[in-house]
Amino acid sequence: MGRLVKAEFRKITTTKLWWGLLIPTVLVAFGWALGAGYLGNAFVDLLDGPEARELETVLGVDSGEWIVSYFAIARSINLATLFPLVFGALAISAEFSTKTITTTFLTAPNRVSALLAKTIVYVAWGAIYGLAIILSVAIGILISTDSDRLPTGAGWFGLAVVGVLASILMTLFGVGAGALVRSVPGVITLLILYFLVVENGAQLVLGIHAPDVIGFLPNGSVNGLTGSMAAELFLTTAESVPPWLEDGVRAVAGATGALAWWLSGLVFLGWSALVFGGGWISTQTRDIT
Amino acid sequence: MHDRSGRIVVNNISKTFGSIPAVQNLSFTVEPGSVTGFLGPNGAGKTTTLRMILGLVNPTAGTATINGCRYHQLGNPGAVVGAVLEAQSFHARRTARDHLKVFASAIGVSDQRADEVLGLVGLTGAGDRNVGGFSLGMRQRLALATALLGDPQVLVLDEPGNGLDPEGIAWLRQFLRGFAAQGRTVLVSSHLLAEVEQTIDQVVIISRGQTMYYGMLDDLRNSQRSRVLVQAGDAQALVTALGEQQITEVSTLQDGRIAVEGATSKQVGDIAAQAGVALYGVEEERVDLEQLYFQLTSGQYAAPVQHQYSQAHGQVPPPGPPPGPPPGTPPGQPPGGPGYQQDPTAYQRPDQGRTPWGGQQ
Repeated sequence: MGRLVKAEFRKITTTKLWWGLLIPTVLVAFGWALGAGYLGNAFVDLLDGPEARELETVLGVDSGEWIVSYFAIARSINLATLFPLVFGALAISAEFSTKTITTTFLTAPNRVSALLAKTIVYVAWGAIYGLAIILSVAIGILISTDSDRLPTGAGWFGLAVVGVLASILMTLFGVGAGALVRSVPGVITLLILYFLVVENGAQLVLGIHAPDVIGFLPNGSVNGLTGSMAAELFLTTAESVPPWLEDGVRAVAGATGALAWWLSGLVFLGWSALVFGGGWISTQTRDIT
Repeated sequence: MHDRSGRIVVNNISKTFGSIPAVQNLSFTVEPGSVTGFLGPNGAGKTTTLRMILGLVNPTAGTATINGCRYHQLGNPGAVVGAVLEAQSFHARRTARDHLKVFASAIGVSDQRADEVLGLVGLTGAGDRNVGGFSLGMRQRLALATALLGDPQVLVLDEPGNGLDPEGIAWLRQFLRGFAAQGRTVLVSSHLLAEVEQTIDQVVIISRGQTMYYGMLDDLRNSQRSRVLVQAGDAQALVTALGEQQITEVSTLQDGRIAVEGATSKQVGDIAAQAGVALYGVEEERVDLEQLYFQLTSGQYAAPVQHQYSQAHGQVPPPGPPPGPPPGTPPGQPPGGPGYQQDPTAYQRPDQGRTPWGGQQ
């Protein structure tokens, strides 16, 4: 197994894809965190004015306790993890496209070990992408946000953990989808369309009629993993948020209709396992012609 | 574990894609120390058969083993079998050396071996170039280098001559012969007999997914002796005169001509002159390998053709069980039951069940 893991690592490091995709990942994560961080900071600045203060007193909230950067972090992670999704999607689909899958299977004792080695390596690369995303987001937030509005140590840690987890799961989801579709343009189009357009469109409709469903959808659940964590962290710090504002908080965090962060994680783990397992089974038994 | 015999055994293997039978009940054995040609027209099922041997395609029925094991029971198959399957099996943006290093680590050989095989196939200078810029011939060489990484005992090559220039083909021929001379096994497919005729010892000829011939190439070559076709004024007198000269392998064709085996046209003419028999036509009939191959495989796309020889000889299919293994097959090695040499009943007329090499059995 060690030999095959080494071979799979080499497959990644001997082409330019890993850093070709890592650069936009880092840029998007950093840029989004920077922009959203500034926006959140400006928003809280606005609330700091005398008139807003009066309104806050009436409403019974205290924006001085609001760490809105949690939302910027969650949103940036959600967007940036589309890149590890694509990275994973290429793992097997590209091997089918270039037909290197033939040599991969010929040089492995069996397909189970070949696919297992690939899984191990892509989990590791999902984590690498996740860490890069977290670092880039953190830098963007540190630059854009006033120091007294930064996340707490526990907040940083919690979001970093779910961020890396989301990245790993997105990678595996991609690996499975690529194994099922087996066409590079096909799988990328499908995934990007689904995660950016189809489900977001569906969420707009579901948000009104059946918000509870959203938390069970792939994008809804993976966003819930980070979004619900951010909302939870925010609400923990800002004790003065009235219950009627909580839905708004969740919406801002990108976790409308989402379950608790750990439940969301489990739901998306289920989706990833389903897609990944399907891809595995289809590759395991397929005739390589 | 495997028995290290270097023997490939294909036993009654069949593959159906959907409703299309690609390979039907194919059996043959490939022995170490020789180069076995796997011949058939395009679409005959060669690639599917090779991929079944290599565990890439699951047979619908039957088994294929290497060293007594199925491919995925070999443990580290890359160190036992090397395969050259198609020229496109590369990532275009990976260098040749990196490609080899990837699979060197998969097989568990050192990176130095990657450089060795690059040298072996004459690609040392191109090692750091992306494979995307390679010519078809260079890709074939790289595919062979990949196959050789694990210093395998068995080599399986699917149409390796494609894209090679004449020099490359000559080099490959020499390489494969040398490889087999070390007691290793080579199975090489081609749709052109001429391409591999000088390389191979043994041959498996398939058409429409069925075995047409399996045995030594020389036996196929010798299976048909040249005949002299004579139109004589007095056929009976000529036959008698020939008999007096111990030339007895004579038969009468439907058109009244006499077919004489084991004699030259000059001998026949001299004997006829001495016997005072008038000859109206003498024709020396030669059978070359290419023609035999064509006859064996022509059924694939052409309409059923009458077999000129079987009919001329007036022979009927031999009764009883199918013939035994061809000469040269080591005893005790079942060539996979009765299927190793099938009568192509699918398209041949029943009265022509006898194929031209049948006389050798």
